[in-house]
Amino acid sequence: MTTNLHSPKRVTALPPTWCPGCGNFGILGSIKAALDQLTVTPDQAVFVYDVGCSGNMADFVYAYGFHSLHGRALSSAAGIKLANHHLPVISVIGDGGCFGEGVDHFIGLSRGNHDITVLTHDNYLYSLTTGQKSPLTPKGTVTPSTPDGTIDEAFNPLGVAILNQATFVARGFAGDIPHLTKLLIAAISHSGFSLLDILQPCPTYKKDRSYAWYRDHIYYLDQEAGYQTNDRKLALQKTLETDRLPVGIFFEETKPAYHQQVISLKDTPLVSQTIDSINIGPALKEFI
Amino acid sequence: MPALNWKIAGAAGEGIKVSGLILSKALFRQGVNIHGYTEYPSLIRGGHNTFQVAASIEKAHAPKVALDVMVALNANAVLNHQEEFTDQTAIVADLNLIKNDLTGFKRQNQIIDIPLAKIARDSGGGLLVKNTVALGASGYLLNLPLESLNQILTETFARKGEEVVKLNHQAASLGYDYVKTNFPDKKLNFAYPGKPPADKIFLTGNEAIALGAVAGGLKFYTAYPMTPTTAILHYLAAHADQFGLVVRHGENEIGVVNSAIGAAFAGVRSMVATSGGGFSLMTEGLGLSGVTETPLVVVLGMRPGPASGMPTWSSQGDLLFAINASQDEFPRLVFTPGDPAEAFEAARLAQNLSEKYQTPALVLTDKYLSESYFTVDRFADQHLNQRHSLADSKALPNDQPFPRYQLTDNGISPRPLPGTPGGVHLTNSYEHDELGYATEESKVRTAQVDKRNRKFASMSQEESLPQPVLFGPQNAATTIVSWGSNKGVIRQALNLLPDVNFIHLPLVWPFPEKTLAKLLASAKKLVTLECNSTGQLNRLIREQTGITIDRKLLKYDGRPFYPEEIVEKL
Repeated sequence: MTTNLHSPKRVTALPPTWCPGCGNFGILGSIKAALDQLTVTPDQAVFVYDVGCSGNMADFVYAYGFHSLHGRALSSAAGIKLANHHLPVISVIGDGGCFGEGVDHFIGLSRGNHDITVLTHDNYLYSLTTGQKSPLTPKGTVTPSTPDGTIDEAFNPLGVAILNQATFVARGFAGDIPHLTKLLIAAISHSGFSLLDILQPCPTYKKDRSYAWYRDHIYYLDQEAGYQTNDRKLALQKTLETDRLPVGIFFEETKPAYHQQVISLKDTPLVSQTIDSINIGPALKEFI
Repeated sequence: MPALNWKIAGAAGEGIKVSGLILSKALFRQGVNIHGYTEYPSLIRGGHNTFQVAASIEKAHAPKVALDVMVALNANAVLNHQEEFTDQTAIVADLNLIKNDLTGFKRQNQIIDIPLAKIARDSGGGLLVKNTVALGASGYLLNLPLESLNQILTETFARKGEEVVKLNHQAASLGYDYVKTNFPDKKLNFAYPGKPPADKIFLTGNEAIALGAVAGGLKFYTAYPMTPTTAILHYLAAHADQFGLVVRHGENEIGVVNSAIGAAFAGVRSMVATSGGGFSLMTEGLGLSGVTETPLVVVLGMRPGPASGMPTWSSQGDLLFAINASQDEFPRLVFTPGDPAEAFEAARLAQNLSEKYQTPALVLTDKYLSESYFTVDRFADQHLNQRHSLADSKALPNDQPFPRYQLTDNGISPRPLPGTPGGVHLTNSYEHDELGYATEESKVRTAQVDKRNRKFASMSQEESLPQPVLFGPQNAATTIVSWGSNKGVIRQALNLLPDVNFIHLPLVWPFPEKTLAKLLASAKKLVTLECNSTGQLNRLIREQTGITIDRKLLKYDGRPFYPEEIVEKL
């Protein structure tokens, strides 16, 4: 966490409050490295944080930040992007906020190809509220809110994103910082809706999925012979794998982002358009 | 006072509203003030629709009950409206179609029987132009020159091609001539000035709100369709390129309000509009605007509730909800405009004051104000705006977090916009310290609540806030106190009530205690008038001033008051 001549200040003076061993540390490390490599300065990036353990990162990152309501980070992020599309907008959100409370925003904004980067800190639980099931918790899991085991089947975030026209869909692992950093760089650089789902151990509430468990269960898509990231069907198939978890870029394609299709944003960001003097005279003609 | 009162009624899908608008415009161009009021069910086809046009040489503030002309496209349009008929009402109907349904109807001799369907078919336009035949017939009865009707038909149907325009001209002319030939003495003796009223426009409350917001610097508008404010979305979407706006139909009201707040955080003026149900979904977002101190303008168009209620009808049941919505406390503005002129000004001011005080501003309207047509003084063309409460970009710290929530005397903490070098900060929905970082410290929490409350004290002193205003004689036996869209109706009623005056509140929060107390002090008998069932303004006045007003005139059937009704109940 040191600042040197080549990397601008990335963190605040506040020490992170996450539990020892939390996957959020690795994700924060990757974010810093990715911004350094992209040479994005703290005043040229906007982070939108959801409410949850991941969202508490708001106090630790030195960059423009908006700590939103639970489940609503993506909506606020989309508004920020439309107001100033020159700024990269990155949302930090948990699996509960993104795929539970805010799933309608996730699907809607994905379909619109809003140019926001969505980092889902995916620990399969609601950890800030002491470990209840999340939409991703596998069926049958015992949690404080499901003492007899969850009845619901788990949500498939990557599959839902692919089916809803997301133009960048990837999965990373908080325990492999160099690999995660590469994915982050690709996600932030991508123009359009990018989902980077990050497998994140929760050593406090999800003890059966430790770093070692993940290392045993993940494999790298870019090492898979013949895997193409432009094949929607193949990507969808990969999202169905649960015994072994593929990480890497599942799917990506180039399509105009939402703001690139809005006529009033063709020349200049909305925030740069002056409101000093507004003439409504021509519009009044239709009321005579 | 020379005035006309015309109504058309029929089934949904029969083009009732278009017909009403065509006649309204034709009358307006002939120099009369117009008030257009529409009633319709929440159905696309089949329900009972009406459009009423009150025209007057003097100001027309509201529709009255007694009709001069009723165009009845079906039997219900006669039978459901008998209370609106006088011995002078001319009832335009096609008895070929509805004669059997009208047995027992007492005013048979007042029916202007015209074979609308037959004439429509003979004209070559088919049943589609039946309404136009009726408009032609109305034109004769109202002494309206046929050319003025044809002019509006041309403007309305031009985009459908010359043939459609020609067919409509033909239909109007046949209807006009039929009545002229068969009922020559039914023509009303009404003289038109012959040219549009100078410097007037004719529009709905929704259109006025949209224009006012644009004049106030609106750049980002997002909404989820909901009656009665859907037309704001339609108007702004249709004019987004002309005004340079981003207009987005969002995924739901929660997404809508949170994206509007995001856009405002990034530095553009934003607005959302909805009705009570959507506003219920937005209340957490309202608090987000309050605690993050991010500007937000919300238009709340009231309709009867709770829940789905009566979607296409009017109500004033959300006054206290608007003032109190969201958990805990933060400053806000609540405008209650009474007509499109005030609605325009409220929307314009809301944009500016919400940015200045970094807190939500609400504009309360209702179905009656939002969707009715009014003749008002033309709005100014040019509107100047200043940006408010932004940090000086030359005096920002380097490499240090900017104190976004600095404790200030007036409670306003200047903010740098994202992307500004040196202004890095955190805007936080959690309680926070001056730097924006989350806190649960007792002293810091108290200081931040106090800071936000100081903005309320500051905004209460704001000179541009619209104040309560007295209409009618300075001294009167009875004083009506009301708010919002009742304004026009009560002003119309005052014409019939010489010893009554009226205090209108165009803004209820911050509560205009001083001005109102002064006005109330000189009143003799007080009565509040509202379209809700408990008298919410009455309760608010007691809470804020200690003054108890015993008498309440309340109506909550989804319809606005009629002037005659006020006269009767008073």
